[in-house]
Amino acid sequence: MTCKTMSYAELHCFSNFTFLTGASHPHELAGQALANGYRALAITDACSVAGIPRAWQALRDSDVALITGSYFKLEPTTPNAPGLRLILLACTRQGYGQLCQLITLGRRRAPKGQYQLFPEDLDTQPLEDCLCLWLPPSPHEVGFTGARQSGQWLRDRFPHRFWLAASRTLESGEEQHLHRIRTLARQLERPVVATGHVHMHNRQRQPLQDVLTAIRHNTSLEQAGHRLFQNGERYLRPLPVIKRLFPVEWINETVAIAERCTFRPGELRYEYPGDLVPPGQTPAGWLEVLTRQGEQHRFPEGTPPPIQALIRKELDLIHEMEYEHYFLTIHDIVSFARHQGILCQGRGSAANSAVCYCLGITEVDPRQIELLFERFISKDRDEPPDIDVDFEHERREEVIQYIYQRYGRERAALAATVIRYRPRSAIRDVGKALGFDPAQVEQLLNGIDWRDRETDWRGQILDKGLTRHKRVANQFFTLVNTLLGFPRHLSQHVGGFVISSGPLSQLVPTENAAMADRTVIQWDKDDLESLGLMKVDVLALGMLTAIRKSLGLISETKGEPFTLQDVPREDKATYDMLTTGDSIGVFQVESRAQINMLPRLRPEKFYDLVIEVAIVRPGPIQGDMVHPYLKRKHGLEAVTYPNEEVRGVLERTLGVPIFQEQVIKLAMVAAGFTAGEADQLRRAMAAWKSHGDLTVFREKLIRGMRERGHSEDFAERLYHQICGFGGYGFPESHAASFALLVYVSAWIKRHHPAAFYCGLLNSQPMGFYSPSQLIQDARRHDVSVLPVDVNHSHWDYTLEDPGHLRVGLRQIRGLSRQGAEALCQQRPPGGYTSVQQLRQRTGLLQRDLELLAGANALEAISGHRHQSYWELLGHEEAAPLWVSEHRDDQGYIPESDKVSLPAPSEGQNVLADYASQGLTLQRHPLALLREQGHLRNCLNAQQLKTAEPNRPVQVAGLVTGRQRPGSASGVTFVTLEDEFGNINVVVWLNTARQQRKPLLTSRLLHVKGIVEREGDIVHIMAGKLTDLSHLIQTLPVPSRDFQ
Amino acid sequence: MPWLYLHFRHLLLDHIARAREAGAPMAVLCHGSRRVLQACPLAVDLGIRPGTALKTALNLAPELVMVHADDDRQARILEQQAHWLYRYMDRISLYPPDGLLADAGSVRRLYGGLQPLRETLHKALGERQLNATLTTGPTPLAARLLARTGLDCFTESPEDMSAHLAALPLHAVELDERTLQRLTRLGLTTLGELQQLPATELARRLAPETLVHIQRILGQRPDPQTSWQPPHDFRQRADFGLPVEKSQGLLFALQRTLADLESDLQWRQQDTDSLLLIMHHYHQDPSHLRVRTTGPEHRAEAFLNLLRIRLELHPLQAPVEALELQVTRFLDRHVATSTDLLGETPDTGEAWHALVSRLQARLGEQALKHLAPAADHRPERAWSARSLARQVRNQTPDNLPLRPLWLLPHPAPLSVAPEEWLGGPERISGGWWDGERVLRDYYIARLPEGQLAWIYRDNHQGWFVHGWFG
Repeated sequence: MTCKTMSYAELHCFSNFTFLTGASHPHELAGQALANGYRALAITDACSVAGIPRAWQALRDSDVALITGSYFKLEPTTPNAPGLRLILLACTRQGYGQLCQLITLGRRRAPKGQYQLFPEDLDTQPLEDCLCLWLPPSPHEVGFTGARQSGQWLRDRFPHRFWLAASRTLESGEEQHLHRIRTLARQLERPVVATGHVHMHNRQRQPLQDVLTAIRHNTSLEQAGHRLFQNGERYLRPLPVIKRLFPVEWINETVAIAERCTFRPGELRYEYPGDLVPPGQTPAGWLEVLTRQGEQHRFPEGTPPPIQALIRKELDLIHEMEYEHYFLTIHDIVSFARHQGILCQGRGSAANSAVCYCLGITEVDPRQIELLFERFISKDRDEPPDIDVDFEHERREEVIQYIYQRYGRERAALAATVIRYRPRSAIRDVGKALGFDPAQVEQLLNGIDWRDRETDWRGQILDKGLTRHKRVANQFFTLVNTLLGFPRHLSQHVGGFVISSGPLSQLVPTENAAMADRTVIQWDKDDLESLGLMKVDVLALGMLTAIRKSLGLISETKGEPFTLQDVPREDKATYDMLTTGDSIGVFQVESRAQINMLPRLRPEKFYDLVIEVAIVRPGPIQGDMVHPYLKRKHGLEAVTYPNEEVRGVLERTLGVPIFQEQVIKLAMVAAGFTAGEADQLRRAMAAWKSHGDLTVFREKLIRGMRERGHSEDFAERLYHQICGFGGYGFPESHAASFALLVYVSAWIKRHHPAAFYCGLLNSQPMGFYSPSQLIQDARRHDVSVLPVDVNHSHWDYTLEDPGHLRVGLRQIRGLSRQGAEALCQQRPPGGYTSVQQLRQRTGLLQRDLELLAGANALEAISGHRHQSYWELLGHEEAAPLWVSEHRDDQGYIPESDKVSLPAPSEGQNVLADYASQGLTLQRHPLALLREQGHLRNCLNAQQLKTAEPNRPVQVAGLVTGRQRPGSASGVTFVTLEDEFGNINVVVWLNTARQQRKPLLTSRLLHVKGIVEREGDIVHIMAGKLTDLSHLIQTLPVPSRDFQ
Repeated sequence: MPWLYLHFRHLLLDHIARAREAGAPMAVLCHGSRRVLQACPLAVDLGIRPGTALKTALNLAPELVMVHADDDRQARILEQQAHWLYRYMDRISLYPPDGLLADAGSVRRLYGGLQPLRETLHKALGERQLNATLTTGPTPLAARLLARTGLDCFTESPEDMSAHLAALPLHAVELDERTLQRLTRLGLTTLGELQQLPATELARRLAPETLVHIQRILGQRPDPQTSWQPPHDFRQRADFGLPVEKSQGLLFALQRTLADLESDLQWRQQDTDSLLLIMHHYHQDPSHLRVRTTGPEHRAEAFLNLLRIRLELHPLQAPVEALELQVTRFLDRHVATSTDLLGETPDTGEAWHALVSRLQARLGEQALKHLAPAADHRPERAWSARSLARQVRNQTPDNLPLRPLWLLPHPAPLSVAPEEWLGGPERISGGWWDGERVLRDYYIARLPEGQLAWIYRDNHQGWFVHGWFG
């Protein structure tokens, strides 16, 4: 047998989905097996098939057969014995199902990330369609008799499907071990098979494998000692080497086994759950019925002909692609939510179609915005459509429970998210393995400016000098670089459900997630996609909760139901409000960057909001597309197109690419990318942040565009935009769904402010602003806010009379919900009259009562907060120690001892309010300081609105935010709050460097600077910064820093 | 009465700063939480204070020297401070990790009042480059609390002490979180305000432990103190924030330590003739340097000269993390040296120990080692010669690889073709991380003259003999 005719199949191979053990990606192993000319490759991760989809992607069209298997180490029968080690390989689809079931059993028993299987499990689990490779224990682990006994035991469970695995790792003691295997094989009368015990695809990965071992044992390489392998032989060896090392019979067995394993992942056919189609109906027919029903509801006065045509076209396309079940499933979930009064909104490709509008999956009216359905369901790309549905964040759990209940836990599970090594974690772990001081590694990490384009971090590290040895530095970089993108563990996807028609455990193993009672499947979103499995995204969105609550309040006020559909469209007053940047609390456009963009973009219609949502994103900003768009929108620049094809792509955005799909489309029409290439680009963009590389597309893009007559500058910008989209892809369909919520929340804010803030405050925590900031904004909008009061407040914020907002008991930190509810239920019609009565009627715990007193909620019944609290504390018996020394007192309080504590000052009240509720209805601390004369010469936020530009001014305020956005190099944005609103301060890099201390540590900051004005937007360009925190020593003001 | 309390605001940092010539901002970090526990004055100037997040601290001072919190270490350092304070004060109690209490009443007379005492102590602190707040208080606890607020309340007058105490903010009274919260909610801010409330009424509202605590502060309840007894030995340690690589770099810290030794000997009115200098390394056993003077000595300079010579002769084995000076032999001054020729060595244990000590005395501390296995795949690193000082734990792995008893110090080129191959190949590839990478295939072979050799081929196809089997 020459090497050319020799065949070999590798049957024992760990990928890096055996976390911190395997040192190569599945696709690297697959590629190497292909290059080596193997007949087959089994990926056998430890109690897992998580690496299979990626290996399958690489091997599906090749001559190398991919075998699905898994390695197991069973629990030892006696404490000191080593557990049985074996590999199971799936022969058939059925065997694959058996394997999945066993993995599920082992994983579900153990905490997240571990597994536990006992020898008895092999008796109870069906495994007839799996082959077993036994890894016999080495002489120093177990005596020969013990080894033979366990071998016999195992062999009897796998008659004619049992082999002894032998590998040649060239380590000390190998001869004895092989001798033992031969003897065992003779005695057990079963053949030996050659395996590689593979941990990496080539020998060059040995350093990384050593590092992983050190990380796994939480030690350094120096200390790892014998826990490291003795050499780097556990790789996919070339055939000549294999031939030299193993007897030919052993090699031939690998092929014999491989030939018995006929199962391929491509056989996994996803079967849609059939539950949703009534008997006698076809899926297509039923979808059409539901769509028509919805149509009547949506268009009571008759569907306009263009929409009718659209619906027909979409239904045909859905039918052609056989996606009916998908739409039916989403419709089912959404209907459940609607019946429960849970607000929801679909987004993503396919969501904003006329069919989805009729099915109630989206509220985006097809008349309002015309999105091309084909763009979202592509006939060329045979991949499932993708609809994400957002639900109220407080009630999403109900939807999840519904899915479990409807399909059963055997058929529905959450997808996994593979948590991968990012630069920070990779540097930390490799640093630790190389024995660097952890504190110094932190110092190094901190020195790296992550906002600098991510690709440049290596260069930054070089300058820091963690080590003086160039060799170590080089190793460090190489290792970190290789480790990047390695999977670390499986986590729970935010809401991606997989629903199958048969038991899910026959399709993919499930394992425990960190959250109690949650299980995830072993595959993530991309794996599902590559195997063509359907996923439904059930996501949580705080704004939907807030909107539903606000709509409820409006209904109450109006005395009739008022729903999302009743919100008038295209209301001018709403757009006018947004144009002034008055958008605190409004969905998506409430961040500082968005607030500054609104007056520049001046939204006047729905589509402007779609653009507004998408334009303040890394993609368009890095692509420098914002200014051109604004100029064109306001008629300062002519709207032109290089050719008709480009016009087709960019017309809706005035010739400037804003959305992700426009950029991809442009790559096709302007740079000559084929559909396949464009799809690769799209995938690379999605993966760019973790492990992708976009530079390969750069040259092609720029060359292609230049050849077609586009300017190099435009091509470069487009490339930058593509990089900016990486990881933050924001397609038009998402923007449209979000824009609707922007509009609705803005409309409520404009026309029903009290209900708006009430809904927001009752949905906390969510959004960008704290309750304190929301309440200040509410008061600036003439909503009168009433303090928390034991006789008026409910758990939630409530509306009292039109326009009066009462602070809810929920705002009191630490107050038990149970206590608060008892308080409301037992409240007498005239209110409580004394603490005594309150205590008796409600049985409130002392703790809750104290919190109420601390919040000043008892003022009406027992005086100011200090006195109330004193009375409350007196409830407890005196400590005997003290009483014994004041014996004459006899335990009663003489009248003269009635203590009356001094009333709190305004300052004390402010502090106590902040401590208890995180907000105050007293005057703003800045107002107090101003009155005390601490802030002479400082302009307030109100005065600043009319301040003359380019003049020096002084301002002061509580620091509520420090941000250094990635898109603005080196600039720090500081947000200050005073009694009139927010002040935006811009600190340039040099100023920041010279005044680190006040910039980074102040809670109350004084700024001398220059006013800059663009329209209604005022910024202070900071000069001198002064820390005034000593004036508000104990005031707890949280600041959102550098997120 | 009164009590004097020394609060060391950043003892660990002062301690490390003493061993460094150039000043740099330094901070002590809390393990795990990535927050600053202590900050030196330089760091405070840059805006770093206890509680600052590490990330912010590094933004404020990118070159910050970071020290890990270590309570044991700080307790040791605190005891060193008790040691010198003992020369000035009586009845000292340790308040780890950062305070010392002493009875000022008993020595007031000696110094002619508290002010002179204060000056003496300030001077002593200054010499030692220590930052401490000194306060007096009517009770031990009062003195401690006042010192920890950082207020300058050094007074003899009981009225002033009471006034200081009354002004003490409640958050500085070391109350438990819940009590403090309660009192704050009552609008109380100082201890004085608390004192003004009727005692019984207050008693109903506070936990018994809190009352005891307050009564102890106010002296209404006894608060017995345990006095610290100075150890007989002199032991002092200097820690370096960053490891020192050359012996030159040790001299500065050594000078300081020896100066302390001199004043200690001065105070004892004794001399010594043997010093033990222990140098701690990161990943290795500490190296020991024993120095004997020709006769009784107490001058720092004399010790330094001796040590300097020794250090020049013996280069450092590895970067030094900390220095420790130990003196356990004290000689009364004016005692004739000739009677002390052989020393009063109490080491008269087993014969083994005697032999070891003799050999060590004759050959030097470092010349004597014993063998132990080391966990490394590379044969030349799979054993170690450890100093005898280190206790050997029996940690031999149960599956040691087959190795020849006689391993050559350096592999020798193989000059003859082996006659017979008896084992192998065993492939060893490792050690890439420390620059001593090996890539070898080992074989056991019989050479023509009959020896059983352990030979290997390296990755450049060269053949070497690495050892001999018996």
